[in-house]
Amino acid sequence: MDINVRKRSDVQLIQLRGPLRMGPAVDGLRQTMEEALGQGDHRIVINLAEVPMIDSSGIGLLVRFLASTKQRGGSIKLVQPSKFAIQTLKLVGVLNLFEIFEDDDTAAESFS
Amino acid sequence: MGDEPGAGISGGLTELLNLSMPANSESIDRITAAISDILARLEIAEQKRLEIGLAVQEALANAVVHGCNGDPSKTIRCRMNGDQQGRVVITVTDPGPGFAPKTLADPKQPENLYGDHGRGVYLIHQLMDEVQFERGGAEIKMWKY
Repeated sequence: MDINVRKRSDVQLIQLRGPLRMGPAVDGLRQTMEEALGQGDHRIVINLAEVPMIDSSGIGLLVRFLASTKQRGGSIKLVQPSKFAIQTLKLVGVLNLFEIFEDDDTAAESFS
Repeated sequence: MGDEPGAGISGGLTELLNLSMPANSESIDRITAAISDILARLEIAEQKRLEIGLAVQEALANAVVHGCNGDPSKTIRCRMNGDQQGRVVITVTDPGPGFAPKTLADPKQPENLYGDHGRGVYLIHQLMDEVQFERGGAEIKMWKY
């Protein structure tokens, strides 16, 4: 999985490319998120436009860090999850925990 | 569909895949890629391919993490059989002691929503048409019609 991180004011924008599943993909995103939280960045946008599927370990990671960022007054917002990713999040009952946006800018602006 | 698991597949089944591999994430990627290729060759619709692919991913991940404790010296096995109508049955076997599927917590309960694990078997049941555990839970058999 490719993970591309950039910052827009106090929002971390994380662009993922590839399946978010157990192994290097989930490990890489976990490291990225831990670094963000370690730097005090609790406002995070994850662009999922190029993520064809998310497995249960990917979902576990997202909800765990959603809880962590919320505890610190931030959040994780999702951009353009695929139809199948939405279906998967819905199947396990966590879709409604996340705010979902059509593009990075709108998601980032929603923090202000 | 009859009462017995697998009754939705009638007639002869063809073996489409039979792989034994080390218990690690690279093997999961290789097996799911092989299954994806086979399903594409069978011209199975994309949505069905995605659902089967994720269910297999979850079953293999459980086999590696729980059945083998992440020990790559152990071996996981995956078999797939199918019929002319694109109906498939996939079996994943690990060398572990198994588990009791009925003891798993419901991941949709409010107290479990923010948990970082415990969704894999639930997802498999949602994605596949029939699911059966054998060998005390060390083998899962999944049907998609």
